[in-house]
Amino acid sequence: MPEVQSALPIAICVIPAALAAVTYPLARSARPLGPILNLIGAAVATILAGAIALQAIGGQVLVSLSRELRADALSALLVLVISGVSLAAAVYSFSYMRLETLLERVSGEAGPEVTKRRLASFYALSLAFLTTMLWACVTNNIIMLYVAVEGTTIASGLLVAFYWDRRSLEASYKYLLLLTVGIAFALFGCVFLYASAAHYMPEGAGVRAMLISDLPEVTAHIPHGIALLILAFFIVGFGTKSGLAPFHAWLPDAYAESPGPVSAVLSAVASKMAIYALVRTLAIFFPVAAYHPVALLVVVLSVFTMLLGGVMCLAQDDLKRMIAYSSISQMGYIAMGFGLVGLGFGGAAGYLGAYGGLFHLLTHVLSKAALFLAAGAIIYTTAGRRMSELSGLARRMPVTAVAFFVAAFAISGIPPFNGFWSKLTLYLAAAKVELWWAVGIAVATSLLTLIAFVRAGYQVFWSDGDSEVAEPGVRDAPAAMLVPMGVLAALCVVLGIFPQLVHPLLDRAARALAGIF
Amino acid sequence: MIYNLRLIETLSLIMIITSVAAVESHNLKRAATAYCLQAVLICGLILAFAVENPALYVWAAVALVTKAIITPWLLLHYISRTGEEEVRAIIGFGPSVLFASALLIACYTLTHRYVHFLAPTPEAAQGVFRTNLAVSMTVFALGLYAILSRRDAIKTVIGLCLLENAIHLSLVSLAPATPETALVGIATEVVITVAMLLYVIAGIREQLGTTDTFELSELHW
Repeated sequence: MPEVQSALPIAICVIPAALAAVTYPLARSARPLGPILNLIGAAVATILAGAIALQAIGGQVLVSLSRELRADALSALLVLVISGVSLAAAVYSFSYMRLETLLERVSGEAGPEVTKRRLASFYALSLAFLTTMLWACVTNNIIMLYVAVEGTTIASGLLVAFYWDRRSLEASYKYLLLLTVGIAFALFGCVFLYASAAHYMPEGAGVRAMLISDLPEVTAHIPHGIALLILAFFIVGFGTKSGLAPFHAWLPDAYAESPGPVSAVLSAVASKMAIYALVRTLAIFFPVAAYHPVALLVVVLSVFTMLLGGVMCLAQDDLKRMIAYSSISQMGYIAMGFGLVGLGFGGAAGYLGAYGGLFHLLTHVLSKAALFLAAGAIIYTTAGRRMSELSGLARRMPVTAVAFFVAAFAISGIPPFNGFWSKLTLYLAAAKVELWWAVGIAVATSLLTLIAFVRAGYQVFWSDGDSEVAEPGVRDAPAAMLVPMGVLAALCVVLGIFPQLVHPLLDRAARALAGIF
Repeated sequence: MIYNLRLIETLSLIMIITSVAAVESHNLKRAATAYCLQAVLICGLILAFAVENPALYVWAAVALVTKAIITPWLLLHYISRTGEEEVRAIIGFGPSVLFASALLIACYTLTHRYVHFLAPTPEAAQGVFRTNLAVSMTVFALGLYAILSRRDAIKTVIGLCLLENAIHLSLVSLAPATPETALVGIATEVVITVAMLLYVIAGIREQLGTTDTFELSELHW
């Protein structure tokens, strides 16, 4: 791949960061500025991400700052979805963060001054969160990858605790503590990897031992024992951040207790950034055949994750917690694809695994963001989130209902939605390396997901129990909330019917990951 | 090599003692002080290595400011608001000391003996680096033990600080040529995380009247 010097990777990190820095003081002095700056930051990032993606489709790898930042097709896909979902969430926040019950819950006894401060920090932290996620996806430095990933935890910790009540504080405490401990393992892995790579790099090239793109040159020389330890640390560290079982304990709490737009960003893209970090670091070792058992371990963990998430999904009554458990399950599918990359590296199975994993990543981004935004709309209009207390909302909230069902079918892998193609690719990849048990469990889990979502959707939108929350006055959410949700759901349909639209980018990214050029 | 090997080894081994003190002390102020002492030891270690590599003086300064000054100050500031006595741990003082000692001895002996499995480079398996690697693993294990066995939220934060110190020790002894930007990034991030966790814990204390993590039971599976 030809590497081209470009300022785009710098710009996509620096512009949102600069906006984040000025947002807090500006939004404190004039409240409407908060959402506007947030929107500008996300929109600029989306445009820049689009430009990076176009270059990547053209076969170019963008580098800057003496290759400290590097954006190949895989990074391009990630920055595109991260900024796209952040843009949708920013539009959505315009109405959602003005909700009166929300503002009452925030201010409590503290008064309007606290609310103002809290809202200003909400927008500033949203932009900081976006910045750190984008940085994690374009950095080429193994230590800075850790710094950026931990940065996302720091930026989002107080977003999870936004309401500052018992539940959200508990969620935020678990989130910060478990993720920091988990990521400490990843840092240990990064330090060990850097130390050993620096030793085996040719004389005078020690600095390159930090560059992720150059590390595969020396992996064959790293002693087997330490390499296994490094891989284990990466799986625990970045696996915790991605929500892989059994390191997922923080996830349902954090996703369910955050405000709607934050839930959507956390679930749809923050988890993808984490799994990107995991696969980027594991892929350093994939070319060496001796580490294929580690790839099998990743497949086993991810199959366990998808099954556990699918089963727990059925046991939930809280709408947002159910969607959160479904996220865990879907992360399992994506991780399975990436595990298969290692098993079939350089061959068709590896390519299919990478393609399926990335396609499902895209599917999950679109459908899960739509689902969390739909759940947010339901909370916005009814103030209820227990499914047993909701009923018959389809007539009052038709747009939300359609978006919810489209996204739910997409995530369950029903044709003609995008999830069908991505899951099919994953099944084919697993079948190619003859992991039939994995195929079986993956298909069964898809059924569980379908059952959980149809049950939830029926209860919330169609059943006509005597609901206390669905008062006659309930109407669908404002346009600023419906439009992002609708666009995401529409993309699920479009990519289901025309999956070839995303093929150029997915193909390049899958090739980069699977070592096929 | 012109390192003062005896000094490095001694400082590194005292780190284990400070870790045990930080984990086992029931008075949070004393635990925080033990942590502060450990941070000073790390600075001393970095200075001892700096004889060979002058770039490490910057590291020592960064570690001193973030680990030995800001973090203990934050801890003491919040402890003065939430109370000095630690919420009772899930195991009593006697068994805990026994367990911690067993963990310490087992971890140190194992990592020291089987260092060839752990060492990323041949040099790291020898002499002072071997000691440092074993100490680093032991401090990491003690930090994890504190996080898993303690009910007090502040105490778990101290455990987290121990984890970070362990990683810092291995970084300085395994990869002293790491650029400063990476180091400053890691060090500042730890401080911000600790500050944020303590801020959230203060909020929990306000809402629940305690820092006992067992009281955090609104959300379960």
